[in-house]
Amino acid sequence: MEPSLVAIEILNGIVLGVIYALVAAGLTLIFGMLDIPNFAHGAFYALGAYVAYTAMTHAGFPLALVAAPLVVGGVGVVIDALFIRRLARAGHTYQILFTLGLVLIVQEGIAIVWGPDPLSVEIPHALTGGIALGFISFPYYRLFLVAVAALLIALVWLVLEGTKLGAIIRAGIEDPEMVDAIGYDVQRLFTIVFGAGVGLAAIAGALVLPLRGGQPAMGNELNALSFVVVVIGGLGSFAGAVVGGILVGLVQSLMSIVFPAADEVAIFVAMAVVLLLRPQGLFGRR
Amino acid sequence: MRAPRFAFFVLIVLIAIAPTILHYPDLLALALIFGLLAAAFNLLLGELGFLSFGQAVFNGLGAYATGLLLVHVAHVPILLALLAAAACSAAGAAIVGLLASQGAGVYAVMLTFAFNELAYYLAFQLRGVTGGDNGLRGILRPTFFGLDLSNDVAYYYFTAAVFALVFYALLRILDAPFGYVLRAIRENEGRARAIGYDTRRFKVAAFVVSGAITGIGGALYAMLYGFVPLEVVDFTTSTNIVVMGILGGIGSPYGAIAGAAIFTLLSDRLSHVWSHWPLLLGVLFCTVVMVLRGGAVELVRFRGLGVTKRA
Repeated sequence: MEPSLVAIEILNGIVLGVIYALVAAGLTLIFGMLDIPNFAHGAFYALGAYVAYTAMTHAGFPLALVAAPLVVGGVGVVIDALFIRRLARAGHTYQILFTLGLVLIVQEGIAIVWGPDPLSVEIPHALTGGIALGFISFPYYRLFLVAVAALLIALVWLVLEGTKLGAIIRAGIEDPEMVDAIGYDVQRLFTIVFGAGVGLAAIAGALVLPLRGGQPAMGNELNALSFVVVVIGGLGSFAGAVVGGILVGLVQSLMSIVFPAADEVAIFVAMAVVLLLRPQGLFGRR
Repeated sequence: MRAPRFAFFVLIVLIAIAPTILHYPDLLALALIFGLLAAAFNLLLGELGFLSFGQAVFNGLGAYATGLLLVHVAHVPILLALLAAAACSAAGAAIVGLLASQGAGVYAVMLTFAFNELAYYLAFQLRGVTGGDNGLRGILRPTFFGLDLSNDVAYYYFTAAVFALVFYALLRILDAPFGYVLRAIRENEGRARAIGYDTRRFKVAAFVVSGAITGIGGALYAMLYGFVPLEVVDFTTSTNIVVMGILGGIGSPYGAIAGAAIFTLLSDRLSHVWSHWPLLLGVLFCTVVMVLRGGAVELVRFRGLGVTKRA
């Protein structure tokens, strides 16, 4: 095996892993913290890519990166306030089922608005070309993607751990009634957190668009993978989602040269093994 | 379980006269097959409270078992083909049930999902056995004690007979003490264990029953089309089964049949007219989950037609 090939796959694995980490970070907010198993997470990722596509053609790529999370996050806020919050008492099963129905609606909605055919988008002009690393070259756009994703993940982590808002959110998850009694509207807070989680999936979709293009069902694979990442990393652990995401990306990328036929299934087998041997995940407490 | 006897009778009459109303015996047979799959799913969700995202595994096991038997062995009696499918799927379901019942809540759901991915991968890779993405071809319907089933109407009535038997058996199982234990586990597993039931064993047993029924469905499907496509183990099939099982109402075996019939007929009839019909399906599905937990059957029950939802 050529060392340059391995190096390329490791770099690609990191890019892939950072995308997974970003989507899984969003899912950690929604599933890990709010305890809502949102099976439409991948659908919001797809919607983010398509909103970015429209914003891009009208106002350019930088604005698309802002529009996608805002618009789709807003959709998430509305859906949470109108429906998901009301299902809280019905339990996980109903929440899973409802969000499964959402997948059908979003996926078909995308096909109606943007058409069922795959989209392809060119890499923004300013980010074409690549950086030379010895005998391989690494595209600027991928570098940009990793930087933006890392920045966002750091930002969310800082807000959660270092600000008053983050403290209120964490307290609200720990003991909603107490935080409610102190005078904070916990339900509204949770709806905003839900919107933020959805927004992270949406911006990941926007970032991936120039790399992989778009397609109405593009969220399904990622939805499954983000659940895998969250489970492997440990439910509710932000660090687990990030490390798990990069790990899954690397494994998938390296498997594609070692044993390409099994790159997909290896991830699911890994999850099953983690679930059976260490149900709390790699980084999970308890 | 006394009142639903009437419902069962109505269902059988409906099935018997269906081909004279709707002249698509193959589509009607498919609706019955999906009805079995949905009822088997509903056994896990409605009775045991276990949401399975891996029903396609059992469907695939049944379809491939029957398909391989009929392709490679000459003169296999049709009942043996069905039994083989039920046995293979039941064995697979025992393994999945044993492992998945270790997890709790969403983790268990994810485990069934992981097994579905694994099964799909195996079916895809073992091209020599399953035909991979080309599918397993050349399955001929055997005769049934000399009766020629190559005609679609004849095969519909054969499917209907198998359906009636299996569905009746399922109703009896739900009404037996076994069914009561499953519902006790659903309501409060700790309490069920405290009064002395080995709940894990009951969970696995529920999986075995669900798997066997799903396997028979898969076998009937393979013989209906003479072909086993890779889609039988696809995750999409699992989610379709979930959709069918919910559409007609959670917790009612009749609801599962209604859901499967609605799904099958809508997806066939509506897809010609409007290619974006899944949107409607999604809206319908979400509505059921939000406001009508009992599903379509609950609507009927309101009108007092004697279809009762089980407690």
